[in-house]
Amino acid sequence: MVNKVTEIESMSVERIRPAGNFIKAVAAVVWKDLRAEFRSRELFSAMLVFSLLIILIFNFALELDIKTRQSVTAGVLWATFAFAGTLGLNRSMAIEKDRGCLDGLLLAPVDRSAIYFGKVISNLAFMLIVEIIVLPIYSVLYTVNLFQPGLLLVILLGSIGYVSVGTLLAAMSVQTRTRDILLPILLFPVVIPVLLAAVKASSGFLTGAELADILLPINLLIAYDIIFIAVAFMVFDAVVEE
Amino acid sequence: MFFQEATPDTSGYMIAGYAIAFIVMAIYVASIYLRSRNLHQDMTMLEELDKSAQPVVEARQPKKSPAKSTSNNKSAKPVTKRSRKK
Amino acid sequence: MESKPLALKILDIVSIIILGISTYLALVFAPTELVMGDVQRVFYFHIGTAWTALLGFILAAVFSVVYLITKDLKWDRLQVAAIEVSLVFFLITIALGSIWARPAWNTWWTWDPRLTTAAVTELIYIAYFMLRQGIDEPEKRARFGAVYALVGGLSAPITFFAIRLFRTIHPVVIGGTNPAADGGFSMTADMRVAFFFALFTFTVIFIDLFWNRIRLGDLQEKVEQLKLKVTL
Repeated sequence: MVNKVTEIESMSVERIRPAGNFIKAVAAVVWKDLRAEFRSRELFSAMLVFSLLIILIFNFALELDIKTRQSVTAGVLWATFAFAGTLGLNRSMAIEKDRGCLDGLLLAPVDRSAIYFGKVISNLAFMLIVEIIVLPIYSVLYTVNLFQPGLLLVILLGSIGYVSVGTLLAAMSVQTRTRDILLPILLFPVVIPVLLAAVKASSGFLTGAELADILLPINLLIAYDIIFIAVAFMVFDAVVEE
Repeated sequence: MFFQEATPDTSGYMIAGYAIAFIVMAIYVASIYLRSRNLHQDMTMLEELDKSAQPVVEARQPKKSPAKSTSNNKSAKPVTKRSRKK
Repeated sequence: MESKPLALKILDIVSIIILGISTYLALVFAPTELVMGDVQRVFYFHIGTAWTALLGFILAAVFSVVYLITKDLKWDRLQVAAIEVSLVFFLITIALGSIWARPAWNTWWTWDPRLTTAAVTELIYIAYFMLRQGIDEPEKRARFGAVYALVGGLSAPITFFAIRLFRTIHPVVIGGTNPAADGGFSMTADMRVAFFFALFTFTVIFIDLFWNRIRLGDLQEKVEQLKLKVTL
């Protein structure tokens, strides 16, 4: 299994070298991650099971009677995504480091930020897939319709913000002595605006609040996403250079 | 006159607040001072080690690099001390 | 660089003197606030430390950018000094904020924008030091520290505005001893004097501690270099 994966990686790197094209490089990174994950499904299953367990814990931790459920659903969902997200980010970066793929990618004559965008897209894909599966399960368990377009939009925007910063910080934490433990410590304080705005907006959609009220947190999410993708894009080089 | 309640006596809290502010600042100043003292002790010890290794080093290299600006001041003394010892 | 420069020695003494004056102004000169009583006086030090710490963190973010551009480790030492002093000041801010909240609103903590942002920011910069702790090479440590201080420095103000805008999520007050539960009060002229003097005092103290901490960092660097030289 491991040999097959490294085969794929080296093939992807081969493809990057002659092209040197930014988008091709990004696509190669994304494709490599998705294909590797498709075969092993280790990240995905871990994140999914972890999410379900968190929802289970919340059921015991909070008295989720019908009334409280309404006000608390958004928070429970986002707490679940945040915790499961760190799992995915950690493993995704650890795999890069342990298998030496990162070094291979760094040797390629391609802008370092292509690696950043590639990782962000693949991490985002994993996170979204897990979220898409968690939503119907939560809906069924708590009899609440979570499939509203507004909510889905918020989940998308929030996940983008979370993963953009998370990928950058995971790239750093995986190179320290404390590795996995450090990522949540670094990530959570910085990603609080995302959680804040996402919960506010999700809650708004679920309780049928005024659109004007919901637009404000959504704008904040968009602003956060843009600012931090830009910053991460600019500094990612400093994080992976040898 | 206004029929309002008397101003509550919250001076206990005020004292606690100011005490915390002063204590925290004092602890920080002490921390800087202690760390600084430890480093100075390390420095003197390392300089002693450096001096005793000096003759070997000097024989190999003609001049010390200008980057070590503090050692420059010290290097004047060891020369005289060494000549006295030897 | 063994002995303190005269300017710093003078600054040390000046800092202590004006801290004394500021304390007098805050505790004696300023009038007692009507609704909350004496505890309101912590407000002067609370804002003094908050404002300077905030500037310190912004300064640290600027140092980040300069370091990433110049790769000169001097900026890393400046950053560590700024963040360390700001961390200490913010700790005082949070403690005083909590002490003020207790008699004013009958709660040790309120989730209002300032206090919450202070807590989040404090955690960001504690995380900063934990990140640095986990890295052995100085150059990598400086690079990673710079990136995180930049990211943190950007996210903290966003957190503040986010909480401010969406205040309804966090109930601010749990019924207090006073009807003016907002904790607001208008300042008289005397109070303003104490207030601005406290701001000035803590700015000076910050500069003094910052300078001292920088010297400590420089000394650390010299010791490290000497260690390398001796063990070679």
